[in-house]
Amino acid sequence: MKKVSLTQLKENHRGKVIEISGDANLQKRLMNMGVYKGRDISKLSHIGLRGPAVIRVGRSIIALGYSVASKVKVEQK
Amino acid sequence: MIKKIYLIGNPNVGKSVIFSRLTGVQVMSSNYPGTTVEISKGYLRLGDDQIEVVDLPGTYSLEPTSSAEKVAVSLLKEHPQNEIVVVNIIDSTNLERNLLLTLQLIEEGFPVIVCLNMCDDAVHRGVYLDIGKLEDILRIPVISTCAVTGAGIKLLIERIKEAKPAFRDKLVHEARWTEIGKIVERVQRLEHRHHTFREVLEDASVRPLTGLVIGMGIVYVSFKIVRFIGETIINRITDPFFYTILQPFLEKLIFLWKEEGFWFHLLIGDLISGKIDFKQSLGVLTTAPYIEFGMVLPYVVSFYLILSLLEDIGYLPRLAILLDNILHRLGLHGYAIIPVLLGFGCNVPGILSTRVLESRRERFIASTIISIGVPCVPLQAMIFGLLGKFGGFYVSGVYLVLFFLILVLGLIMNRTLKGYSPEFLLEIPPYRFPQPHMLAQKLYFRIRGFLIEAVPVVLIGVAVVNILIYFDLFNVISSIFAPIIHGLFGLPKEAIAALVIGFLRKDVAVGMLVPLGLSAKQLFIAATLLAISFPCIATFIVLWKELGLKDLIKSTLIMVAISIMVGTTLNLLIAR
Repeated sequence: MKKVSLTQLKENHRGKVIEISGDANLQKRLMNMGVYKGRDISKLSHIGLRGPAVIRVGRSIIALGYSVASKVKVEQK
Repeated sequence: MIKKIYLIGNPNVGKSVIFSRLTGVQVMSSNYPGTTVEISKGYLRLGDDQIEVVDLPGTYSLEPTSSAEKVAVSLLKEHPQNEIVVVNIIDSTNLERNLLLTLQLIEEGFPVIVCLNMCDDAVHRGVYLDIGKLEDILRIPVISTCAVTGAGIKLLIERIKEAKPAFRDKLVHEARWTEIGKIVERVQRLEHRHHTFREVLEDASVRPLTGLVIGMGIVYVSFKIVRFIGETIINRITDPFFYTILQPFLEKLIFLWKEEGFWFHLLIGDLISGKIDFKQSLGVLTTAPYIEFGMVLPYVVSFYLILSLLEDIGYLPRLAILLDNILHRLGLHGYAIIPVLLGFGCNVPGILSTRVLESRRERFIASTIISIGVPCVPLQAMIFGLLGKFGGFYVSGVYLVLFFLILVLGLIMNRTLKGYSPEFLLEIPPYRFPQPHMLAQKLYFRIRGFLIEAVPVVLIGVAVVNILIYFDLFNVISSIFAPIIHGLFGLPKEAIAALVIGFLRKDVAVGMLVPLGLSAKQLFIAATLLAISFPCIATFIVLWKELGLKDLIKSTLIMVAISIMVGTTLNLLIAR
C-alpha cells in the first residue's frame, strides 16, 4: 500500500482517502461533495503539469485544483 | 398555513427549471453549477391561496462554505419552520451526493418534500430508483419529475401540502455518509451497461491530450459557425431589407423633403454622392438602425445561439478544467472562463456573472480583464465589418493585442493585488442533450435583453453625435485632445468624436470612423483603442455596482494608462 497525494496518484488508479490537510473551509467543501476520510475514489486524469486533477467519487466527477489535490492523501490500491 | 415554498438542492440539479414550471416565471438555466446568482421569486396557486416560491442558489449542504450557500441557508431560516415547505430537488442520476442535503434538512426539522428530478436521464444511464422504498426510509413524500418535459410537476404540486417534518437523529459527517451509503444500497439499482458514446466523450474531454484536441476543435468550430450564421443572416435577410426596402423608401422621402435643415441632418444625415449610404450617412433613421440591426444583431443572434448550446450541453466546466492552469497565473481559476465567455457577448452579463467567483480579489481581476481585454459582440461585428476588407491580418492583430494585454494585466494584478484567490474545486456535470424549447427561450431572453439595452442608446447616441457635429461642438473637444490623439496615436483629431462616443456604444463609435477615411493602420489602432479604453456606459454602471466606487476608479485608471501606452506603442511599432 502506497501513500500518495492526489497529484501523485496515477491516472486510472483507485485509492482510499486517508488524510485531508488544509483549512477547515476546504475540508468542509470536500466533505460536502463526498470526499472524506475513508472514501474510495478513482483518478480520471491530470491536466498539465500543475493543472487540476479530475477524480470520480461515487457517481460524481470532481475537478480539484493542483493545490487542493496536493492536500488530499490517498492509499493507492 | 403555508406562507412560503423554498426550492433547495445541490448546484445544477434543475431548480430553476422546476421554479419556472411551478410559477410561470422564466429564469435562465444552464448546465453548469451556479447559474442562479440572484434569488428569484414567483407565485404558485394552491387551491385559493397564492404562495410565494423562492428559488435558492444551489448548495451542497446546510453548512455553507461560500457566500451563495450562506444566502441560501439564511433565507431558509427566515420564517418559522411550520409556515414553510422545503422542496428538496435531487438529481436522480446522483442520489448519493444529493442525499446529504436531504438528511440535513430532515434532521433540522424542516417540512420537506423530495423531488427526484431528471428521471429520464437516470433511465438513460441505467439508474433505477425505488421511490416507494425511499419514501418509507425517509418518511417524507418523494416525487419523480422531469422538469424539462414537465412530467411529474402536477403530482408535485398536488402533494406539496403533504410535506412534513420527519425527525431523524442528528449525525456527524462520516456517519451521515455511511447512512447515505446504506440508503442508496437499498433504493438504487444500477443496470450495468456498456459505456455509451456520450460517456466516452465525457471522459475524453477531461483528459489532457484528447481534452485539448476536443477543446481547440470546439472553440474553432464555434467561431466558424458564429461567423457563418451571422453572415448568412446579413446576406439573406438584413441586407436585402435595408437595400431593397428601406433605402428606396427613405430616398423617396428625401425627394419630398426640399431643404436640408437640422432635422434632415439629424434623421437622414449626409448624402454620399446624392444617395443614402447606411454606413456613412450617420442619421438616426439610416446609420443607427443599420449598425444595430444590419451589422450587430445577426452576430448577437449567432453568438448567443452557440454559447447557449455549449452551456446546455455542459461543455463549459470542461473548458474550465483545461484552462485552470493558465488562469491560475492570472490570479483566477478555471471557472473564471465562464464570465469571460459571457463577456464576449456583452461585458455587462460577463461582469455580473463574476459573482460565481468567490473572492473580491478574483472578481476585481476578472471584471478588469473583461472590461479591458474582452471585446463584446457588437464591437467585434463592427471590427470584422470594417477592418475585414484590409485582410484577416489586421483583424487577428486586434485579438492578439487584446490577448497579450489580458496575460500581462493578469500577471501584474496577480503579483501586486492583496487578498487571496480561493482554490479550484468544481463538479463536472454530465453532458445533457439540450432541449430545443429551452434553448429557444434562453436565446429569446438574451436577444430581448440586448435589444432593450442597445437600441435606445444607439438612437440617442447617433442623435447626440449629429447635434454635436451640427453645432460644431466636437471641434472644441478635438483641439483639446489633439496632442494625444494626433501626436501619440497618429489618428486624425476628428477621431476623438468616435472615441468619446465609445463611452455610449462601441458599435456606433466604430461606425463613426468610417466617414473619416482612415488608413488600415489608423483603423487598426482606433479599433484596438476602442476595445481597451473606457467601457460603454452600461458596463461602467455595472462595474460601479459590482466593485464599488474605489475599485471602479482603480480599474478606470488602469484602463486609461493602458490605452495611452498601447495606442502609442502600436503607432510607433507599425510601419504603415
